[in-house]
Amino acid sequence: MKKIILTILLLSYGFSQSKVSIQDNEISINENEAVVEVLGMVCSMCAFGIGEGFSKTNFIDKSKFIDGVSVDIDAQYVQLGLLDSKDINPEKIVQVIEDAGYDVNLLFILQNEKLTKFGTDKLGILQPIAFNLTSDNNN
Amino acid sequence: MLRIFFALIILFSSISAHPVIFKNGKVFWLTQNPSFNDIRFGVSKTSNWLIGGRFLEDRKSNETFALVNNNYLAKRWNSRNSQANLYLLSSVGLNTKNSKGMGTIGLHGDWENRRFMAMEMIEYFSHSSALVSNSRLAYSPYTVDYSKTSTWLIAHYRVEYSDNKYSYMFFPVVRLFKKNYLFEIGYNGNDSFLSFMTHF
Repeated sequence: MKKIILTILLLSYGFSQSKVSIQDNEISINENEAVVEVLGMVCSMCAFGIGEGFSKTNFIDKSKFIDGVSVDIDAQYVQLGLLDSKDINPEKIVQVIEDAGYDVNLLFILQNEKLTKFGTDKLGILQPIAFNLTSDNNN
Repeated sequence: MLRIFFALIILFSSISAHPVIFKNGKVFWLTQNPSFNDIRFGVSKTSNWLIGGRFLEDRKSNETFALVNNNYLAKRWNSRNSQANLYLLSSVGLNTKNSKGMGTIGLHGDWENRRFMAMEMIEYFSHSSALVSNSRLAYSPYTVDYSKTSTWLIAHYRVEYSDNKYSYMFFPVVRLFKKNYLFEIGYNGNDSFLSFMTHF
């Protein structure tokens, strides 16, 4: 019985965690999280503005990271904790980044055990470019 | 005297970081030096437009000015690991004692990545008919995480053209940066200054 429970736990963990790549950095992403590659985020005040923007939204899980947001300026990405109850519109995430004055290059969202990758096209419009990714094919 | 006063205004105006910040973000900053006290507050109404007020005190002449700043981000180039900007700047205000008007118009361009920064700002001042160029080259000897203190070493060079003649000034500046706080100190052998800025 214990083995069965352990197997189920391991399987569910496997489905709800993956890895994504941003500028040669491999980042772990869990269920109800997003990873955003942000262009132009080069200083701590830039990062502060992005954190402030997300703190005013209603889809951030503030129990994760620092008030729901983790910023890596060197690797140029932001990781977000997302509320379980919300189906996230990726445009809302992009809007917060743009209101802070920056651009989104890539966006990964892991929800409902599905990892989706979004990218901006030549017109600057966000488009899903890959679904149901695994850690091996998210580039 | 008036020309020096305006030259100092320009010099210290250019010391601040980006003239426009995140949407609905507020900025507050103080500058103090032997010549004046400068207190400013601004709100970014959008991610490319900041409007604010400024109270300036000339400590030598005891003159004070009340000004409105209007900064517009005309173009931003966001790239992987770098950012470049072009701003249009203007301000208008009054001498609080004699209600004499003053106005400025300017152009500010900058480029930065995690290690280097270059900035150029040109402004015209109606009061003194002065055209002033402020240039900065900066280097950060190390990069740190968002939550730690970063340091910038800045060479600041200023040229003023008025009354058919040029004047020059050089300032070495140290900038300390942590989260939403910025502190700068400069000294060139004759003059020194302090500057503090925060976003919230």
